Amino acid sequence: MASTKVVNIPKGGFSFENCQRNNFMAKQGFPAPKAVKTGTTIAGFIFKDGVILGADTRATEGNIVADKNCFKLHYMAPNIYCAGAGTAADLEMTTLQMSSQLELHRLNTGRQVKVATATRLLKQMLFRYQGHIGAALVLGGIDSSGPHVCCIYPHGSTDSLPFVAMGSGSLAAMAFLESGWKPDMELAEAKVLMRNAICGGIFNDLMSGSHVDLCIITREKAEMIRPFEVANVKGERQGSYRYPLGCTATLSTRVIPIEIESTVVRPVAEESMDTA
Amino acid sequence: MFGQAILNDNLPGAKQHHWSPYTDNGGTIVAVAGDDFAIIASDTRLIQGYSILSREQTKLFKLSEQTVLGVSGCWCDVLTFTRTLEARMKMYLHEHLKPMSTPAVAQLVSTMLYHKRFFPYYVSNIVAGLDQDGKGTLYSYDPVGHCEKNRYRAGGAAGAMLQPLLDNQVGLKNMKGGVLPDITKEKALMVIKDSFISAAERDTSTGDGVIINIITKSGVEVMHFPLRKD
Amino acid sequence: MFLTRSEYDRGVNTFSPEGRLFQVEYAIEAIKLGSTAIGIQTSEGVVLAVEKRITSPLMEPTTIEKIVEIDKHIGCAVSGLMADSRTMVDRARVEAQNHWFTYDEKMSVESVAQAVSNLAIQFGDSDDDGNAMSRPFGVAILFAGIDEKGPQLFHMDPSGTYVQYDAKAIGSGSEGAQQSLQEAYNKSLTLKSAMKTALTILKQVMEEKLSSTNVEVAAVTPDQPFHMYSKEQVEEVIKEIA
Repeated sequence: MASTKVVNIPKGGFSFENCQRNNFMAKQGFPAPKAVKTGTTIAGFIFKDGVILGADTRATEGNIVADKNCFKLHYMAPNIYCAGAGTAADLEMTTLQMSSQLELHRLNTGRQVKVATATRLLKQMLFRYQGHIGAALVLGGIDSSGPHVCCIYPHGSTDSLPFVAMGSGSLAAMAFLESGWKPDMELAEAKVLMRNAICGGIFNDLMSGSHVDLCIITREKAEMIRPFEVANVKGERQGSYRYPLGCTATLSTRVIPIEIESTVVRPVAEESMDTA
Repeated sequence: MFGQAILNDNLPGAKQHHWSPYTDNGGTIVAVAGDDFAIIASDTRLIQGYSILSREQTKLFKLSEQTVLGVSGCWCDVLTFTRTLEARMKMYLHEHLKPMSTPAVAQLVSTMLYHKRFFPYYVSNIVAGLDQDGKGTLYSYDPVGHCEKNRYRAGGAAGAMLQPLLDNQVGLKNMKGGVLPDITKEKALMVIKDSFISAAERDTSTGDGVIINIITKSGVEVMHFPLRKD
Repeated sequence: MFLTRSEYDRGVNTFSPEGRLFQVEYAIEAIKLGSTAIGIQTSEGVVLAVEKRITSPLMEPTTIEKIVEIDKHIGCAVSGLMADSRTMVDRARVEAQNHWFTYDEKMSVESVAQAVSNLAIQFGDSDDDGNAMSRPFGVAILFAGIDEKGPQLFHMDPSGTYVQYDAKAIGSGSEGAQQSLQEAYNKSLTLKSAMKTALTILKQVMEEKLSSTNVEVAAVTPDQPFHMYSKEQVEEVIKEIA
C-alpha cells in the first residue's frame, strides 16, 4: 500500500523527536552546542525612489568572529529583499524557503508579489515556531502600493515603519536614522545615511563589524552593492610565517620500495585497407 | 504539586535573577622576555557586554623603572589591585629604603592575590621587568595567585588564542632544531605586534590600539600602534 | 637623685618637665646590669661574642642562650632581661619570615632592627588588641647579619633607637669595652682578628676568668650563614689570645 511508503519520505520542516532527550541531557550537564549568530547591525528605510537596506558583514560565535565577510542581505523576490539578524542557519533557511514560496505565489497569481504578502508569510511561519526560529528580519521592497520597510521579530510580530534597524547594533544605527532620516531623500543622501547608520553599529557594537553592504530597490531594479564600503581593512602582519624546509621532525622512517612491472604498450598499426 | 512547579527553574519562561560582583571588561596582554630586556604590551580597548567603554585605555602599569604590570579582566578589580599594589610598593620603599626588585614584586603579587582566595580579584596578571642582574624576567598568574616564571606569555581575552602562536614563534615548539637562542628585541617586537593584529581579526573584545612597554636598563620605552576599530 | 624624680617616673608615658621619660631611662640603666656582649663588623663578615654569667656551679651553662639566630642570614646578641629578649627575638623571627613569604627575598638587617623597634616602643596603654607591654623592654640587642649592602651590625636600646655600628659593646662591661673597641677597630680587620679582639676585650671586662664555657661566639659571613662556634673552636681562639 502507498501509506507504508509515505512513512519513509521525510516530510520537511522540523523534527522535534529529540527535544525530550536534549532537555534531559542539558539537565545532566551536556548543553546543546552553540549556533553561529549574526549579532548584527541591519537597517532599512524608505527614500524618494524606493527602499534602501543595509547590513554589516560580521558573524560571531560568542566573542569569536566566525566570518569576517558574510552575507546578511537576502533575496526574497525581484522587488523584495531582506536583511537578517539572529541565528545564521535559521535566517538562511527561512529566507530561502520564503523566496521559493513567493515565487510560487507569483506564478499562481501572475502578478508581482506584494511586500505585505512576504511580511504575512514570514510572520505566520515565525509565530508558528514560537520564537524558536531565531530570525529577526528587516524586510524591504517596492510594489504596486509603493515602497515598504518592515521589521519582523522572531516571535512573529511586525512593525511597518519608514525607517527601522535591528540586531545588537540597532541602537547605534537607530541613533543615526533618528537624527538623519527625512522623507523623500535623494539616493545619494540615502546611501550616506545608511552607510553612517551601519558604521555606527560596526564601530560601536562588538558583535557587528567588517564592511557595509547595501541593497537599493527602486521601481526599475534592485541593486545589491557588496561591499558598498570596506570600513575595516585586514591588519597587515610584518613577519613572514612561512616555515623553512625541514621544520617538521621526522620520528621514524621506513622506505617501502615500489615495484613497478614495466609494461610497454606498442601501438599496432592498423592493417591498411585493401583498396586495390 | 503546584508549588513544586513554581520552584522549578527549568520551566519555560522561568527566570532566575542573579547579580554578579564581577564583569568581564576584556583586554589582552602579551609579554616576551629577552636576555637584557622585557617587552609587555596590551590592547587599549575596554568593553562591557557588547559595548566599547574606551578605545584608549592601557592595561599596563609602570610600577618602577624596571617593572611593569599588565592586568586584564574585571576593570574595577584591576584598579583596586594595582592601586593597592602601588601603595604596598611605596610602603616597602619607605620601610626598607630601596625600590622593590622585580622578583620581590612578583612574590608580592602572588601573596596579594592569594590573600583574597575566597573572593578573588577577577584579573589575569603578567609582571614583566628586569631582575637584580639586569636579565629580562616574566611572571604570569592565575586569579588566586599561582605564579609561574616564563620567557613569553599571552593573557586575558585573546590569551588562549595567542599562546600557541608564541609557543611556536618564540618558544619554537613543534619546530625541528630545538635549541632555544635568546630572542632578539626586534623579533620579539614583531611577534607581539603581529599577534595583536591577528587577535583583532578574530576576537571581538580586542582592538583599537596597542601600547607596548620595552623595559631595558635605561628605563621603560613606550610605543603605540593602531588596530582595527570594529 | 632619685628623690627628685619620683613625681614623673610613675607612668611610662609621662614626660618630666625637662622632657625626659624616666621609665625608658631606667630601662636603659637595666641594660648596664646585663652581661657584656660585643659585636664587630668587618668586610669579611660580622662577629658576635657574649659573656655568660655562670652564677652557680650547679647551673647548666649551655642553657643560657644569649646569641640566637633570627634568620639564616641574621643573628643577634642580647643583654638585659632575658625573658623580655625572647619576645623581641620572636618578633624579629616572625618579621623576617613574613618578609621572605611576602617578597621572596631576605630581609635586610636594618629592616629587622626597624621592625623590632616598633615592638620596643609599644609599651604603655594597651592598644586595640589589649595585649601591649606595660613597661619598656629591659633589653639591648646587637643585630649582626649580611644583606645586599654587605656585613651589617645594628644596635638597638630599650627606647627603640637603632644605630649602625662598626663595633659595639652592650651590658655591664660596655663602657670599658667600647673604649677598647674604639682603639682596636680598623676597617681592614679580618674576621679572625675581629673574633680575637672581641674575646680579648671580653676577657678584660669579665669578672670571671674567660673560658669556652662562659662565652658564646657566633659569626655571619657571605659563605657561611649564621653559625655558632663550637666549644673546641672557641677554645682554640682563647689559646691564641692567651
